Amino acid sequence: MSAVTSDPPRTAARQAIRQMPVSLLVVLGLIVLLLAIGVIASPRFASLNNFRNIFQQSAALGFVSLGQTIVVLTGGIDLSVGAMISLTSNFTSGWIDGDPNMVIPVVVGVIALGAAIGCVNGALSHYLRVHPLIVTLGMSAILQGCTLLYSLAPVGKVTDDFEAFAYGRIFGLSYGGLAMLALFALVGVFLHRTRTGNAIYVVGGDARGARLLGISVARTMMLAYAMSGTCAALTGVYLVSRMGSGDPWRGDGFDLASITPVVVGGTALSGGRGGPLGTLLGVYLISLLNNILNFMDVSTFYQWIVQGFIIITAVAIHVEKGRRA
Amino acid sequence: MIVEAKAISKSFPGVRSLDRVDFSVSAGEVRALVGENGAGKSTLIKIIAGAYTPDEGELHFDGGNVKWSSPHEAQAAGIHVIYQELVLFPEMTVAQNIFVNRQPRNSLRMIDYRAMKTRAKALLGDLGALIDVNEKIKRLSVANRQMVEIARALDSDAKLIVFDEPTAVLGGHEVELLFAIIRGLKQRGVAIVFISHRLDEIFEIADSATVLKDGKLVGSVPIAAVDRNKLVAMMIGRNLADIYPPKAQEGEVGEVVVDAKDIVVGTRVKGVSFEARKGEVLGVAGMVGAGRTELAHAVFGSLPLDGGSIHLVGQAAAKPSPARSIAAGLGFLTEDRKGEGLFMLLDLAANVTAPVLDTVGESIRLDRGAEKNIAQKQIRDYAIAATGPEASVANLSGGNQQKVLLGRWVISSRTALILDEPTRGVDVGAKVEIYRIIRQLARWGLAIIMISSELPEIVGLCDRVVVLCEGRKTGELAGLEVTENAVLQLAVARRDAMSAGRSA
Repeated sequence: MSAVTSDPPRTAARQAIRQMPVSLLVVLGLIVLLLAIGVIASPRFASLNNFRNIFQQSAALGFVSLGQTIVVLTGGIDLSVGAMISLTSNFTSGWIDGDPNMVIPVVVGVIALGAAIGCVNGALSHYLRVHPLIVTLGMSAILQGCTLLYSLAPVGKVTDDFEAFAYGRIFGLSYGGLAMLALFALVGVFLHRTRTGNAIYVVGGDARGARLLGISVARTMMLAYAMSGTCAALTGVYLVSRMGSGDPWRGDGFDLASITPVVVGGTALSGGRGGPLGTLLGVYLISLLNNILNFMDVSTFYQWIVQGFIIITAVAIHVEKGRRA
Repeated sequence: MIVEAKAISKSFPGVRSLDRVDFSVSAGEVRALVGENGAGKSTLIKIIAGAYTPDEGELHFDGGNVKWSSPHEAQAAGIHVIYQELVLFPEMTVAQNIFVNRQPRNSLRMIDYRAMKTRAKALLGDLGALIDVNEKIKRLSVANRQMVEIARALDSDAKLIVFDEPTAVLGGHEVELLFAIIRGLKQRGVAIVFISHRLDEIFEIADSATVLKDGKLVGSVPIAAVDRNKLVAMMIGRNLADIYPPKAQEGEVGEVVVDAKDIVVGTRVKGVSFEARKGEVLGVAGMVGAGRTELAHAVFGSLPLDGGSIHLVGQAAAKPSPARSIAAGLGFLTEDRKGEGLFMLLDLAANVTAPVLDTVGESIRLDRGAEKNIAQKQIRDYAIAATGPEASVANLSGGNQQKVLLGRWVISSRTALILDEPTRGVDVGAKVEIYRIIRQLARWGLAIIMISSELPEIVGLCDRVVVLCEGRKTGELAGLEVTENAVLQLAVARRDAMSAGRSA
């Protein structure tokens, strides 16, 4: 059936669409549907300003979901990102405390801390053979405890320059939103075009096979969780920049929130399939949905309920597809 | 000599898996490695491939003494094992899989997909495989998946390729293709180790054979110097004039207990009739896909009947279901041991008594003691190599798992027992044991309906044979008519040859 055929001349774009998994097209379709609903729901929805807001508001969810994507690709899960955001946001504002000279060392330090803790997550899960669900859940409790020991209430403040990360704009597009896009592109290239990045898919596809082929599973796992930790720390830093100070409960709810765009975007929880592009679309879908619900004056609590339904539906759809294949 | 293993020994807790075994294979040689399950074949292969380190002995590869520290090191040196469970990544493309651990890179150290695809095409072209390199592995047939692994081995300049039961999952035509490729590899000077339970294949493809038994070397012989019986005798360590028990005698065969008429199942079974009598072993032969399994499921009630009728012991089974069939004394040993047959998480005792739960407990409480007694008896009667009733069935060998399943159905079957490929993936020794059990069950008065793809066992064991081809019955053979040739003729008969088949 599958004879070797010479590829007919085809533009890169057409080939990209042809190879795009159906799940991505579905998400794109849902985004279009939501845009239509938004226009009907509120006359103020379809304004350039609102779209710029959505672009800005998607940054935090984007950063943390990108890290989650990498971990899910290995077949794992990172439930410590919420606590990591709380910890790093609190440390960032507490340590900077209005001193412009502290900004760079603290930001670098906090992100390195995120990477290191993530690395520990990966190592514990791999060497102790404990499911990452448990390892990261335990780590989440540890991090949240540390955060509360450090401070029970919002602490410190940041400099005005620092707030530019969240509020600065080029052509009306926020730095944060642009940085998020750039990071997605960077990680996308890393996963697709480097051997190390490819190994994440290989390990997620079949860890035993990866080992037989000389691919270090330990190194790959530690790298993936370190990247997730880094992304979560970056989210914490970003949220401080947006809110003006850290908060010991800043990351509450981000564990689930970070998984939703990943599974909506078609990355398989079993690992080895999917990627950042789907997650990016998932992030915009969720941000758009929340934006519309805000316009419709729907309570935040309903937004949670909707999100719960979405995540279960998205996973259910993918499971069904897997069975048919 | 590409590989030479000298006096290799390897022990695991409680088992001496290899005991001073010598083994070698030269460039351009196909060496069959044979022996029953547990003879030490896998251990030897894993030592050569660097997955295990030997306790004693030396390993020479390509002229030098080697001590592998990992499978990857052995692979880098040119030893490639194509395991039964292929090391492939279903979500990745063919090209990505071939180069999964050695992607071609450009000057920026980025993966060069264009070069990857070009090289993948060239490798598959060399093998004569028509596979699209952009296709995902999950969309390929098992045969094509093997090609991808072979291509991976070729790209890494394999000097030795080990095929671990490669044909177990292939159809007849695919086996021929694989053999053509193995011959090609041989001509390139690649050394091949070929592991298979199918003796025909060994005689077709191998130049020489090394026989292991219980971790010891029985001998290495040129294939031309032995015949089938000699090889089997070496493998099981005794003479094999009696692989098959004697067939049913006049008077041992009684009344019809399963009477199936014009059975239709979807498009797979198109109106097949047969009857099975008390005390006989009825073979159901045919190519894979001829509708044998579907027919069996329909009779047992685990597939819906789209036409025809079934009488069990003279009573019409109006709407067959597995529960009713079991109640009527029918048993069914499925083809897929792990998926449909065994409860892998339960112990041996629970597995044996599964269909007769109501007899081992009063009301809702299970009587574990009774369960164990039954299991204990099974272990004894069928020589199941297990530590006891509490042994985990997942850890048993294929042959022993099969005996557990047979034991289960023996308890609950009173009229007939359907066996679908009862000896698949089972070593010769266990096969002989299973044949003996099957014949004994017939002698006790069960009607045995046995589906098998292995012609020798159809011919050797069955009193009567029904042959299917493309969902239709092409003939029925009995007594001395049952020969490999006659069965094969009917199994490939086209519809226009049906009349000829019927008269046979």
